[in-house]
Amino acid sequence: MVLAKFVEVGRVVKINYGPQEGRLATIVEILNDKRVLIDGPTTGVQRQVIPIRRLTLTKFNLKGATRGARTGVITKAIKKSDPFAQYAQTVAAKKVAKKALRAKLNDFDRFRVMILRKRRSALLSTQLKSLKKNTGGKAQTQAKGGNKKK
Amino acid sequence: MPAKKRTVRIGNWYKSDDEKVHFVRKRKAPRPAQLRKIVPGQVLILLSGRFQGKRVVFLKQLKSGLLLVTGPFKINGVPLKRVNSAYVIPTSTKVDVTGVNANQIDDDYFKRTQAQRRKNEQGFWAKRGELTAEQQTAEKTRLDGKRNTQKSVDAALITAIKKTQLLKQYLGARFTIGKTTRPHELVF
Repeated sequence: MVLAKFVEVGRVVKINYGPQEGRLATIVEILNDKRVLIDGPTTGVQRQVIPIRRLTLTKFNLKGATRGARTGVITKAIKKSDPFAQYAQTVAAKKVAKKALRAKLNDFDRFRVMILRKRRSALLSTQLKSLKKNTGGKAQTQAKGGNKKK
Repeated sequence: MPAKKRTVRIGNWYKSDDEKVHFVRKRKAPRPAQLRKIVPGQVLILLSGRFQGKRVVFLKQLKSGLLLVTGPFKINGVPLKRVNSAYVIPTSTKVDVTGVNANQIDDDYFKRTQAQRRKNEQGFWAKRGELTAEQQTAEKTRLDGKRNTQKSVDAALITAIKKTQLLKQYLGARFTIGKTTRPHELVF
């Protein structure tokens, strides 16, 4: 297996543990085999030393990040090419966002989701029934979706 | 609660010694319970009683401190009702109550009438026929009056509710907890 994600200057990382849990930052400097200096001016992460153990490496790199770059330089580099926005497009990031959204639902929202799920399920079952009927029972059960739920 | 006053009756009793008058805190007018950020029009979940789990609309706080709520009656069967704010979960859903007039309803609206009290006295064996004719008509007019008040208060509410999709069905449904719901994590 080829190793692709390296701890290097510019590597976008996600913080796993601590008060900044869940936030993204870039590696700015490597201090020793266990600690790095990270900075995330656009994601609310203060420039800080953090053990690598508390990070997950993502596959994205910040172009233009130089070793020991100051926060201003990092911010400029982010403005040119935003790897954090790219990360937000990944499936993992979307899952996290979905979970956060679901946690925020209020009582009325939860009710609406329940009704929409029921409607979608009803649509799916009528589709399935018609498919089964048309192909004489040997239907390929490819469920075609109704509304996108939250 | 009426203040207990230290009264000295003239005639029978004369003070022999200087009686120590203990410091009597002046009772101010009864303060209704502090509303914890519940706003008229807010949807509340009732937690106890016959209508537990029902979602109702909050109208106003009465002088006694209790909350005046209504289903509306047509939507979920909850009439104009007084409810203790401690047995209520306020949700963040709000209905527009600018057209609703509940000004004439106060604690007296919910007071038991003589006819009702008499009926309660007679207990299990009380039948409607045991009220006098005038009491019966009085009861009938009282109930008709209540029905009309309910209708007039609910009319504006229901038109406001119909503007939001699924709000009517939401108010008609009961709030329930299942095996996997974590009430402490729910956002209302």
